[in-house]
Amino acid sequence: MTTTSIPPAHTSVAPQSMRVALAPVLAAAVAADAGLITLGADGRALFQQVLEQNPRGYVDAGIAEANLVGVAAGLARSGLRPVAAAMAPFLVRRAYEQIRLDVCVPGLPVVLLGVGGGLGYGPLGPTHHATDDITLMSAMPGMKVYCPADAADAVSVMRAVLADASGPAYVRLSARPDPVLPPAASTGAPHAPRLLRDGDDVLIVATGRCVAEALDAADGLAADGVAAAVASVTTLHPFPATAIRELAGRRPLVVTAAESLAPGGLGPSTAEALGRRGPAVISLHTDHRYPPVASHQDLLRFYGVDGQSIRSAVLSYRNRKTREA
Amino acid sequence: MSNADELARRARLRVVELAARKAIHLGPALSLIDVLAALYTRILRRDPARPDWPERDLLVLSKGHGAYGLYAVLAELGVLTTDLNELPGHPSDGIPGIEAATGALGHGLSLASGLALGARLAGKDRRVYVITGDGELDEGSNWEAAQFAAHHRLGNLVAVVDRNRFQQEGDTEEVCALEPLADKWRAFGWRVGETDGHDITAIGDALNALRAGDTPAVLIAHTTKGKGVPFAEGDPSWHMGELDAVQHRIAVAALTTTA
Repeated sequence: MTTTSIPPAHTSVAPQSMRVALAPVLAAAVAADAGLITLGADGRALFQQVLEQNPRGYVDAGIAEANLVGVAAGLARSGLRPVAAAMAPFLVRRAYEQIRLDVCVPGLPVVLLGVGGGLGYGPLGPTHHATDDITLMSAMPGMKVYCPADAADAVSVMRAVLADASGPAYVRLSARPDPVLPPAASTGAPHAPRLLRDGDDVLIVATGRCVAEALDAADGLAADGVAAAVASVTTLHPFPATAIRELAGRRPLVVTAAESLAPGGLGPSTAEALGRRGPAVISLHTDHRYPPVASHQDLLRFYGVDGQSIRSAVLSYRNRKTREA
Repeated sequence: MSNADELARRARLRVVELAARKAIHLGPALSLIDVLAALYTRILRRDPARPDWPERDLLVLSKGHGAYGLYAVLAELGVLTTDLNELPGHPSDGIPGIEAATGALGHGLSLASGLALGARLAGKDRRVYVITGDGELDEGSNWEAAQFAAHHRLGNLVAVVDRNRFQQEGDTEEVCALEPLADKWRAFGWRVGETDGHDITAIGDALNALRAGDTPAVLIAHTTKGKGVPFAEGDPSWHMGELDAVQHRIAVAALTTTA
């Protein structure tokens, strides 16, 4: 793929980085709570301010994700609240057994931050892509799984997980700055889906970066004469099934969009929530095709989860229904 | 026979009784019992009446397949009062005296490093002990942890390697050589001791000698797989097994005769 797509144009605000937004939040949390301890795997961007203000509040495990998670589990067993971060592809794949056995089976309150989940590392290639992180973490016993949509949403999620010591949590963070969404997408409780735009013809349910794509699709669909509602889902496990049913209402079609593999993700969870007697559900998600060398935006297009693909999916469905009528 | 030796003998008898009822990791359980006897009688700071005493030292059995050896010792100490036959083949949370669920190899050293670091951050002078198998050291995560513990100068962390020289499929040096094992630990920045892993007095002395220091320490305990049951000693086919009636009688006789 050689062309460069234009990112969503629904906002004029410059993109913002989740890591930049979270750094002062984490530093303030460590300063306020001596029991909070942060850990990194040779990636200090999130924790630089912790390190500067409270050097004892940060532990570097080096490039050793399995040990990072095992140490975090030991710290949690000591009564501390560990927040451990590493690049998502390496955290979820290299340390999978440690996450499952050392953290999740005993239900320890360890917060895991996966930096660069999804396709955010773009042209760095499939070694650095993690479209499987949501699927893998959703298979963990007791794991809460969050996929914030922009920097402000990530801050909201972080405050929620730090306030909840009931068990483990995984938060997918972006590799690069994200489009800034309308305030409704990023403020308030991350556990509840949020309706960002109303419309009677179709509900687009999206998570993470695909929320911006969904808004972009809704803009395009409006020009096509289709009124699309857009909902943002940040908490993927436990899935807010009741809220999704209420949002879907009487609309005939629900389209889900996520830069993730399907199993355990937004599409199957939405379909299960709506049931066989509910509206038609189209799940847009990534698959196992080997990706081209391309930007994040172009990879979203390649896998069919960008704004244009969402718009096309809605139009195709409507055309088919029109022909059938 | 000292109290510790008697504790070890009785614990071995318990393991043999279990192996007469079902297939268990017999060899690995028997090889580590003298190390456990030394730890519980001379080394670990603990309150016999309160296994969960907050100031206690911690022991993580990274080689979780040695679980019945640990259960047997804990039963002799009165910490475990349930039927050992009902306990899982690897240590699990919720069992009195068990500090961490283990069994997937290569996890314990990281967990113990976190526990040791947590103790330091909390200002506790607690020590954390972790027993690894030797074959288990094939797992690379151990060496991630070894590097981490040395870098963070976890002087309150002590590993004991149950060096019985066998892993499931044979001699450790034939499967994937570990030697020079002591040099590897030294190169990672650990203080290293070696001992006869069946001389309880020597094990205790060696662990005490490793006590003072601001870097982690490891004791390589040279042991015999299946120790105490003559036909199982040094025979890797008894890594896991069930004793028939004749084998059971021979094993009990051997452990009774030495009393």
